[in-house]
Amino acid sequence: MALPVFLRSIEDSTFSTWLRESESPFVFYLVLLCHTFGLALLVGANGLLDLRLIGFLREIPVAPLKRLFRIMWVGFGINVVTGVLLIISYPTKALTNPVFYAKLAAIGFAVWVLTKLRDVFADPSATDADLLARGATLAKWSLGLWVAAITGGRLLAYTYRYILYPFNNN
Amino acid sequence: MNLPHLHLLLNHFPIIGTIIGLGLYLVSLVGKNDGFKRAALIIFAFMALISLPTFFSGAGAQAAIDGQAGVSRTLMTRHEGAAILALFFMEFTGAFSLVGLWQLHKLGAPAGWTVATVLILSLITVGLMTRVGTTGGDIRHPEISDSGSSPAESEGTFGSVLKAFEPAPLKMTRLMTVNKFWWAFMMDLHFIGLAMIIGALGFIDLRTLGFIKQVPLASLERLIPWGLTGVALNISTGVLAYIGMPGYYSHDIAFWLKIFALVLLGLNAAAFYLTDTFNSVQRVGAGQDASPVAKIMAASSLVLWFGVITLGRYIQFYQDTIPQK
Repeated sequence: MALPVFLRSIEDSTFSTWLRESESPFVFYLVLLCHTFGLALLVGANGLLDLRLIGFLREIPVAPLKRLFRIMWVGFGINVVTGVLLIISYPTKALTNPVFYAKLAAIGFAVWVLTKLRDVFADPSATDADLLARGATLAKWSLGLWVAAITGGRLLAYTYRYILYPFNNN
Repeated sequence: MNLPHLHLLLNHFPIIGTIIGLGLYLVSLVGKNDGFKRAALIIFAFMALISLPTFFSGAGAQAAIDGQAGVSRTLMTRHEGAAILALFFMEFTGAFSLVGLWQLHKLGAPAGWTVATVLILSLITVGLMTRVGTTGGDIRHPEISDSGSSPAESEGTFGSVLKAFEPAPLKMTRLMTVNKFWWAFMMDLHFIGLAMIIGALGFIDLRTLGFIKQVPLASLERLIPWGLTGVALNISTGVLAYIGMPGYYSHDIAFWLKIFALVLLGLNAAAFYLTDTFNSVQRVGAGQDASPVAKIMAASSLVLWFGVITLGRYIQFYQDTIPQK
């Protein structure tokens, strides 16, 4: 099966080549590093909130944790930008791997759950008991989906079929 | 300072340290002395940490003298196998010691099962560490062997029993890398551990620095076991990854700086826990500020953890940046 040509067009662009081939430690590796920082901020903060909503860490008051959302959105923003840059660096590698779409689906669902959680916290009259009652199920999904997203991301490094667009595929 | 030097410098600490720790522990059990017990548990935890660079520098020490006249690779391999086994027990001793310290703090005394587990594990660890020291000494010091024969052939009863349990390093290496999904699984756990560490310990640090002040600091104490579980997960998967590809990590400057940052994190945690700072943050209620000392420690922790992530990410880039010989 012929691979879509647009993959090669992206790959051959100056920007993609620079991202991929620059020998500076502050190009590809910095993007990868920021993607990991984004993961730490987003999943770290969301995971903490999830654990609290599921019923762990009962000593911690729930309502003030609303401010964790800011950290999560910053992490998410970083990872959208760096994620796109990573795809531009290796478009064929990412887009020909089914695991990539599974990862994307997991992230999509997880962020949708995140917006639902944000709505739960948007009610200023809600008590901690209300937040727990409304958020517990969402939190369980959130935790599972983030584990799936990280797992998908890790698998991408070991399950790809092509690293670059193959030469004999004109 | 090079890797053989680092190995020779560090290698006495886990051996002598665990023996001192065990001595204090035994005295604490016989004399029912809780202060000694706490000291012993702290020593075990710190020895588990310092054992990591000791073990990791072994490959560098080996590379430096491999091929020299009078240096037997068989003896080095035997030493490495002994070290892997001892390291596993050392890390478990350290982990259960932290459980004991947590129980000591929350319940006033470690639970009976923790006390017994640490006792058994530390006894085994001391035995195995003795073996590691002896087999290490045999590599460069034939003058300490009683018999005329070469040290590899002259296993005593103790040595030959232990040898049966010691893994062959090359087999371990192959076991870790033979299946890419096993490797991916370990790396997956390493990243989940990362999120746990930043989520739990990073949040404590941020609150200490003044973020979300409505949350009383004492209520965040329960996050410590979650953060330490992440640390345990990442030390386990990290050590197994090192065993799987020792040459990938052993001569890498980013890897070594990462390990150095981890030791600094251990010292930072010790400074926090062993001084009055730990007690002072317990009294920081909703809306209140932590002490400047606590804030400095929290900032150090935050910078160092993100430094650990950064250096980990750059291991691939800085491969083979330390000369082999």
